[in-house]
Order: sequence, then structure tokens, then C-alpha cells
Amino acid sequence: MKALILVGGFGTRLRPLTLSVPKPLVEFANKPMILHQIEALKAVGVTEVVLAINYQPEVMLNFLKEFETKLGITITCSQETEPLGTAGPLALARDKLIDESGEPFFVLNSDVISEYPFKEMIEFHKAHGGEASIMVTKVDEPSKYGVVVMEESTGQVDKFVEKPKLFVGNKINAGIYLLNPSVLDRIELRPTSIEKEVFPKIAAEKKLFAMVLPGFWMDIGQPRDYITGLRLYLDSLRKKASPKLAAGSHIVGNVLVHETAKIGEGCLIGPDVAIGPGCVVESGVRLSRCTVMRGVRIKKHACISSSIIGWHSTVGQWARVENMTILGEDVHVCDEIYSNGGVVLPHKEIKSSILKPEIVM
Amino acid sequence: MKALILVGGFGTRLRPLTLSVPKPLVEFANKPMILHQIEALKAVGVTEVVLAVNYQPEVMLNFLKEFEAKLGITISCSRETEPLGTAGPLALARDMLIDGSGEPFFVLNSDVMSEYPFKEMFEFHKGHGGEASIMVTKVEEPSKYGVVVMEETTGKVDKFVEKPKLFVGNKINAGIYLLNPSVLDRIELKPTSIEKEIFPKIAAEKKLYAMVLPGFWMDIGQPRDYIDGLRLYLDALRKKSSTKLATGPHIVGNVLVHESAKIGEGCLIGPDVAIGPACVVEAGVRLSRCTVMRGVRIKKHTCISSSIIGWHSTVGQWARVENMTILGEDVHVCDEIYSNGGVILPHKEIKSNILKPEIVM
Repeated sequence: MKALILVGGFGTRLRPLTLSVPKPLVEFANKPMILHQIEALKAVGVTEVVLAINYQPEVMLNFLKEFETKLGITITCSQETEPLGTAGPLALARDKLIDESGEPFFVLNSDVISEYPFKEMIEFHKAHGGEASIMVTKVDEPSKYGVVVMEESTGQVDKFVEKPKLFVGNKINAGIYLLNPSVLDRIELRPTSIEKEVFPKIAAEKKLFAMVLPGFWMDIGQPRDYITGLRLYLDSLRKKASPKLAAGSHIVGNVLVHETAKIGEGCLIGPDVAIGPGCVVESGVRLSRCTVMRGVRIKKHACISSSIIGWHSTVGQWARVENMTILGEDVHVCDEIYSNGGVVLPHKEIKSSILKPEIVM
Repeated sequence: MKALILVGGFGTRLRPLTLSVPKPLVEFANKPMILHQIEALKAVGVTEVVLAVNYQPEVMLNFLKEFEAKLGITISCSRETEPLGTAGPLALARDMLIDGSGEPFFVLNSDVMSEYPFKEMFEFHKGHGGEASIMVTKVEEPSKYGVVVMEETTGKVDKFVEKPKLFVGNKINAGIYLLNPSVLDRIELKPTSIEKEIFPKIAAEKKLYAMVLPGFWMDIGQPRDYIDGLRLYLDALRKKSSTKLATGPHIVGNVLVHESAKIGEGCLIGPDVAIGPACVVEAGVRLSRCTVMRGVRIKKHTCISSSIIGWHSTVGQWARVENMTILGEDVHVCDEIYSNGGVILPHKEIKSNILKPEIVM
């Protein structure tokens, strides 16, 4: 089986992290975002993954060679020369997705984190016999999204309503599809929206079915949702009693600590924290609801919450870092500094406090 | 003869331009900043230029191979593994700077734009017979800088005073030096400041001489000074009656237009404008005090002042862009948009007005 992951463009919403690394390679819960998806696809028998990208393919390809070998799966890039929207890339990658086996192929939006119930989705798809299946997820405020209106029992999709003013349903497109090769015949090689142009046609022919995504879902393409997504992800690890979660008297709630990270005396870590490889957390540090990327040093008595600390950065002694502070790569926050929502570009030193959210360039 | 150019680090002050290109390669008056310096050095007989860098040497080296071939000069990189300050890099590059000839070598700060009177400096150096010569430039507010206190007639330097509270003089270090090889014996391979540690010692031995830089001087390492620097540079071209300056009824003051750029009907361009290769300026556009990088399209009736428009960006019809607006690479400002000091990172689209200076990431 094959899969296409819509990686897309510049990842500007996840800056400053994406100023250092292409978005799919930004780690989430200590693993590159795209690796979460590729591993789940491999687990259901996908043998080839195509990445639809339009930016930095060379950087991606180097990393991917490494994953290909480790995972035993073929990974290729399909590069857009102009942005092709959410459906055009499928046409571009047509030859890579069709192989005469007639099997359906997966399409994923690269920002989506979930439990990836691909096996259940394959069974759902075979059972309804339609042309296309999409995962939908329940949200509290459907009016902000494109709502999928469907028949509850069969999942047959009636229509899509973009940002509905009146309530029509609370299921939105989760960005995970399983499509028969015939869907490719509906897509021209030009900028096309799968939600606005392709799916509505399939729905009108009553061949589109939606499955409600079990478990959590999050689009982690921007920092606030990335942080919320980590909470949901770690919560699902807890439900599976995963041994990956850290344990100990200094751990509160769900916490991931890479085996090469060091944590000092008297720390209190958690809930909802991920600490990456090579990190050093000195004594007396408080971390909650944050991600600490590879190679970071957090100095004594610092207190960090609801933030992301980028690769190889340092946070000084007694520093207080909170409220969606995002430090890019190699950022150094001096001792006793306060950051309230500072968004700091790579290779900077923060020598004075940031009292209200702002970008430091 | 040899020269060392202190290129240094990340160029963060010139972001967002330096998010796309290392600072020495950012164009100033339609030519990479560093090429202005290298050409002037070549013109006085320098045969080898060493670039002291600590960031992105690979990107630099590719461009430099091109210059090497065109100019017939050797360009190499000396790479710092830790920041070595303003003197340490000289120690690191020692073997590249000393060749047994006993000739002095130039040292330049890469952000400095001036008329580079290297020939006069060489004669000055031979004339006084001292160990080191530095260029100084007059400023109005010396209290912000390091002031060089010198004997007016001979140029012999007495001492350096950092940010003096009382008036001691109005000449500051212009970042251009001519040093005998013996100066290298004074510098250890560690982070060292040439102004604070090396020059004061040479001055105490009465072997340091300063020459007042004729013509203009500007440190163009940040956008405001870059824009002022362009005015000074173009003014110097005017004084030399340079044929490079554009002429025509649509030109006001000093303007540079690359031969491959196109300018439409009814435009008014200038003063103090540089338009790069392959730019398209549509009809009815007003440009003043701005730099337009390679491949930019400025649409009809737009008005741009005191701004820098990054490579391959577009500015929409009837847009108004002013007050230190800096557009990074590939930024698209929609029709009728107003930007008052917007600083826009690469690959963004501006669809709503920016009413006060802010960074858009």
C-alpha cells in the first residue's frame, strides 16, 4: 500500500522553530513530526510513502534516507513547483500512487497528530465499498471549520459546509483520507482544494464516507496547538500504560524524558512535558506543559511553563519563562530573566525581561 | 598583500534579509556587501582575502568561488568554532596573513561602507612608520561610541575612551585597519577585543596612528543605517559624476537602476533608490529612499519610501509602504495595503494593513 503526506510549504506558523528545520522534522514528543505518521503507516503495511512538498526537499531527503533504512520503507519526495493546494499534489504524484494493484492509498495532512487508527479505517473503507473515506473529528466550535455533514449510522457524507453560521453538525475534516485510485481521475494537475472541489463531487455521487476518529486529534502546526497536542498525546500514552512515560518522585503527571537527558536534584517536572536528547536540567528546576528540544540546558531554579525551548538553547538561573514563550534554536536567556510570551528567533541572547508577548528578532 | 574581513556571525540585526542569505552577500547598491570591499582591496593590489566567519561558510564559499574567478583574487574562509571577538580571528588566520614578505595586511569590519581609500591609507602607514594604522571617522554624537583620542597633526593615537561622558574628541573607530605582521604576535587565540585589549597596548607604545577617513562612512549592519548608507553612497557616486546613476524625466536625485530592470510609464523614482536585477516597476509607481532587491515586482500606482523590498517579493497596486518597512524574501503585499514599518519574514502574504511598526512572522 502507498501513502501521500501533504507536507506543503514554509511552515511559517511554527516559526521560529521552522527557521532552523523544515516543519516535518520538528520533533513532537521527542520524535520528528513526520516520523509519527510514517511509523503508523508502516505498521499497517504501507510500503511506500510519498511526501508532497514545495520547500527544502534537499534537507528533507537527507533525513529521510536515514528513516528509510531504519524503518524498511520507501520514502520519496514529490516537489511542487507552484503551490497546488490540497488536491493538486495528488495529481502530481499520480504515478507514484497507482501501481495496478487497485489498492486504495492513504493521504495525510502532515500537521495532524492522532492515534492514526489506520487498520480500522481500512476495514471501514472495505466495508462501505465507496470510493473514498475520510476521518472526521468532533470539535466544540465547528463554526470555525469546514463541517462534514453525514449520515450518522453509515457515515455516508451528504455535504461539506464551510464555517457554518447555523449548526449543521460538529464533525470536521481531520485531514486523514483513504482513497481509491479512481479518485486521481477526478483531480487535474493545477491548484485544487480537495475539500471544496473534489470531495463534494464524490459526496454528491454518494461514494464518500466519513469515520469518526477515535481518540485524540490535533493540528499541531502552530505553537499553542503543539503544546495542547502534547498533553493529548501523553494522555493517550498514559491510557495505554506506556513504559515510555517517566516515573519518579520528581515527576508529576505525564512526562517524557529522553534516556540521554539529565535531571538534577530537587526538580519538579510535569505535567505534560517532553525533554529531548542531550538535555541538561539542573537542580531545582520547575517545568510544566513544555517541550525542551535536543541539547538544551536549563539552569538552576528556573521555572518554565507553557513554552517551547528550541534546540541547543539555554535558560538561565532563576529565569521565569511562561505563556507561550517559544525560543528558537541556540537562544540564550540570561539569569533571572522573565519572558512572558517572548517569541525569539534563533541565535539570540535575551538580556532583558520580556514583559508582554512579542517577537524578538 | 593580504586582507582579513571580519564577517562574524548571524547577522541578526539585518533580519529578515539575513534569514535568506548570509549578511556579506546581501546586496547594497545592487552589489553584495562584501564585494564592495573585495573589489576595493583588489584595486590596491591585495591578492588574497581571508573571511573570518562563524556561520554558514558553505553558502559563502559557493558565491566566493564565483567572485574569485571573476576578480582574479584568492578568497578563503577562516572559520571560528567559538566567537573570538574582534581580534581573536586574526590569530586564527595567522598562517593565512603572514607570508614572510613582511608586508602589512588590511583588516576590515564587514558592515562598513565607505570610499575605502586604501591607497592613501597605505601611504599614511608607510609615512609614519608605526606598527598599526586605523581609520577614524567624525561623528556628531561621539558619546555613543568608542572615541579615539589622537594628536591632530601626526595622527598618533593617545588612547581609546569607551562612550565618554565628557567630550574628549569626535573621532571614532571606522573599522578599517592596516597592521604590520608583528601585531599578530600580540594576539592570543582566544576571544579578544581589538579596541579594548590590543590597540590600547600599541597606542601606549606610541606605535598606533589614526587617519581621518575621507568621504562618507556608515555601518550598514541594520536597516535604518543601510538606508542612510545608500544615500551617502549614491551621493559619493554623484560627486564622481558616475555614469552608473540613472537619468531621465522620471528620475529624481540619485538613483541606481540595474540594466535588466523595467520601469513603467509615469513613475517617479528617487531620490536615493536602488533597483536590482530583473525588477519590474509598473506604471505610476513612486519610489523614494528605498532598495528594491532582485526579481521584485512593484505593481501600479504604489508608493514606497524608506523601506527595503526583499528578493522576489511583490507589492500590490495602490499599496503604500513606508517608515522602515522591511520585506524579506518572497513576501507578497496585496493590493491597496498600507504598511507602516512592517518587518516581514520570508514567504508571507500581507493581506491586511500594518498600522504601526511590528514584526510579521
